[in-house]
Amino acid sequence: MPNLNTDSIKDRTFDAIVIGSGISGGWSAKELTERGLKTLLLERGRDVQHIRDYPTTSKMPYEFDHRMEVPLAIKEEAPIVSKCYAFREDTMHFFVKDKEHPYIQEKPFDWIRGYQVGGKSLTWARQTQRWSDFDFEGPKRDGFAVDWPIRYDDLAPWYSHVEKFAGIVGNRDGLPELPDGEFLPAFPLNAVEDYFREQVKLKYPGRHVISTRMAHLSQPQPIHLEQGRGQCQMRTLCQRGCPYGGYFSSNASTIPWAQKTGNLTLRPFSVVHSILYDEQKGRATGVKVIDTNSKEEIEFFAKIIFVNASAINTNLILLNSQSNRFPEGLGNDSGVLGRYIAFHHYGGEVKARYEGPLDKYRTDGRKPGYGYVPRFRNLHKQEMNFLRGYAAGFVASRNFYSDTGDIGEPLKENLVHRKLSPWNVNSFMMGETIPKKESQVTLDKEMKDDWGIPQLRISVDFDENDRRMLEDYFEQYSEMFSAAGFKDIMASKREGAPGLDIHEMGGVRMGHDPKTSMLNKWNQIHACKNVFVTDGACMTSTSTQNPSLTYMAFSARAADYAVKEMKKGNI
Amino acid sequence: MKRRTAIKNMMIFAGGIYLLPSCSGDPAKASIELTNIDVSSGQESLLAEIAETIIPRTNGAPGAKEMNLHLFTMKMVDDCHSGDEQQKFVAALRVMEKEKLFIGLESAQRKEFIEELLEDKKAPEELRIMMKITKQRVIQGFTNSKFAMTDLKQYELVPGRYNGYFPVENV
Ligand SMILES: Cc1cc2nc3c(=O)[nH]c(=O)nc-3n(C[C@H](O)[C@H](O)[C@H](O)COP(=O)(O)OP(=O)(O)OC[C@H]3O[C@@H](n4cnc5c(N)ncnc54)[C@H](O)[C@@H]3O)c2cc1C
Repeated sequence: MPNLNTDSIKDRTFDAIVIGSGISGGWSAKELTERGLKTLLLERGRDVQHIRDYPTTSKMPYEFDHRMEVPLAIKEEAPIVSKCYAFREDTMHFFVKDKEHPYIQEKPFDWIRGYQVGGKSLTWARQTQRWSDFDFEGPKRDGFAVDWPIRYDDLAPWYSHVEKFAGIVGNRDGLPELPDGEFLPAFPLNAVEDYFREQVKLKYPGRHVISTRMAHLSQPQPIHLEQGRGQCQMRTLCQRGCPYGGYFSSNASTIPWAQKTGNLTLRPFSVVHSILYDEQKGRATGVKVIDTNSKEEIEFFAKIIFVNASAINTNLILLNSQSNRFPEGLGNDSGVLGRYIAFHHYGGEVKARYEGPLDKYRTDGRKPGYGYVPRFRNLHKQEMNFLRGYAAGFVASRNFYSDTGDIGEPLKENLVHRKLSPWNVNSFMMGETIPKKESQVTLDKEMKDDWGIPQLRISVDFDENDRRMLEDYFEQYSEMFSAAGFKDIMASKREGAPGLDIHEMGGVRMGHDPKTSMLNKWNQIHACKNVFVTDGACMTSTSTQNPSLTYMAFSARAADYAVKEMKKGNI
Repeated sequence: MKRRTAIKNMMIFAGGIYLLPSCSGDPAKASIELTNIDVSSGQESLLAEIAETIIPRTNGAPGAKEMNLHLFTMKMVDDCHSGDEQQKFVAALRVMEKEKLFIGLESAQRKEFIEELLEDKKAPEELRIMMKITKQRVIQGFTNSKFAMTDLKQYELVPGRYNGYFPVENV
């Protein structure tokens, strides 16, 4: 046991503790510190300071020993993270290598992690589509999971709140299935993306191609300049960390903002082992932390605790927070903790080629965004032989390439004078999956990690609904491409187990009823009111839209509520 | 030496590739540090000539040797290829050096030698694989070089703009 003299207890006591400094934890910390709470932000990984700790950010490709390819020895040691498209020589320092933090796959699960200050906010793809009532009403309408205890209207003002600060590009498309937000100018679609948009509009009423909404500053506003962030320079090297602060990350945005309030204590190298529960008081009192450098065990105390360790790790912390009152994990009276995990189905893509008058155009420069087709399947009513549906990305591109058949002078000539490729088009599916009781994470009874924390066993799989959905996606996009006159249409499965979508959700779901859910409509643990979970673990269902914007909104909303409740003396 | 003869010689020696001692009497090491493969300075020079044949120096534009693309190739083989490919790569260099299969040729013959090797499915596997890897990595090194990216303006680090309707005539 640590040596607990009173002075040091005072030093280790805060108003609030936030576990994890990624997208959700950064938001919780910002909102809590802005409301005057002395907040301790605990992060298991190292510190990553904006700009200073982006070692590769301004390097040309030829400045990397392997021209951005990951050396084989690293790939062989880390086969899981190596499947992630963003894991490259220039970005690999922001990803967990498999061996460093093992887990047990009862079924294949590609768990992609970033353990550092900023979490995965450094490396994410910055897609930020709002969810709508077609999503929040899904479980109730279609009879799966449990009813969400909130609706779109509960979240709408908080979407606006986080969008204004983070900076989101987009058009006001007026689609109820993808509500409009507080947008900076969108990245425009290119000639062939626009063409597909028109074709779909003409031939498929109810289907829409729009420009992706993304967390980029196309036109920084005073609130962004105040954060020290500037305009996106279209480098599309985002995962290295952006020296302009052109995209949203905790490192560029929420964490420095929280620090400016003077109320934040950021403590890297601090793995939260468990949450401390006081049976007399009937509340959580703090957390037990292992310092990863000294391996020392330290306790920190606070009135409220936000668990934002990212979906699966949040499950781990709660499962590992055992007491007489909660022998199966904190707040787990219902037995649902760790269950009903779901993800996004990224299992398919359809490619083709455009040929026609738009060949007179190409693109110049680069842009981070592309086209997005919101879900149209089973939208207004159940009509297919599978539940829910899929959204899809749509990208048209034209590149320079060289014929490399020859050698010698003709080869060199070809490399120097490149040719323009035809327009290639590509769509990739993003499907909703159904949270199921048997999709779960549990603690292994024997295996521990370096800090004495049980290793996780993950048991999540695709199901028949996913397979039917994939078939339909292949059929529909092949048909839509064909209707648009595209050539050489090719549908193919994408490799990867669940998890590679990096949108894992659930395990600590929200719901009305404490008997079937962990959290109430304020993301508050039903049975332990001073603990809030606002990352992906809280999600009752998955929608098709990228989830992180919704985690941000939940974090801000719950922080606001928590502070109000504290002031009222309720927690 | 005629091209056919060169190829024929190569076939003959290929059978005995693995019989060659790994240190063929040349103690000088390659000029860069290598972890997994053993390349002598003689083999390095040979690789430089092969690379230069693939991308030669031309008017005003550097060739592979000057751009150190042979060193890049060695580095990539050392760090990014499987043990099996590494072994074949080194074995091929060794036999080519020992039997002077390449270095003894005039420049036009060198080119034919490589072309023949890349096309002829019946050529010894080690040599084919070595040549395939070398060509691939030399091209990669060229397109990702300072020369191509900066001098030829094939890449911009900070475009700061996007036009999705850029007229092709403007290229
Ligand atoms: C390549 C890639 C592309 C993506 N694209 C998108 C996208 O386009 N749109 C989208 O919405 N989402 C996207 N995501 C997912 C997005 O990054 C995550 O949803 C988001 O980061 C989750 O936020 P979080 O705060 O829950 O977790 P994280 O950002 O992962 O942060 C969690 C933090 O908690 C820390 N932590 C974990 N366990 C502990 C512990 N026990 N003690 C202390 N600290 C702990 C971690 O080290 C980490 O820093 C993408 C992710 C990746 C990697």
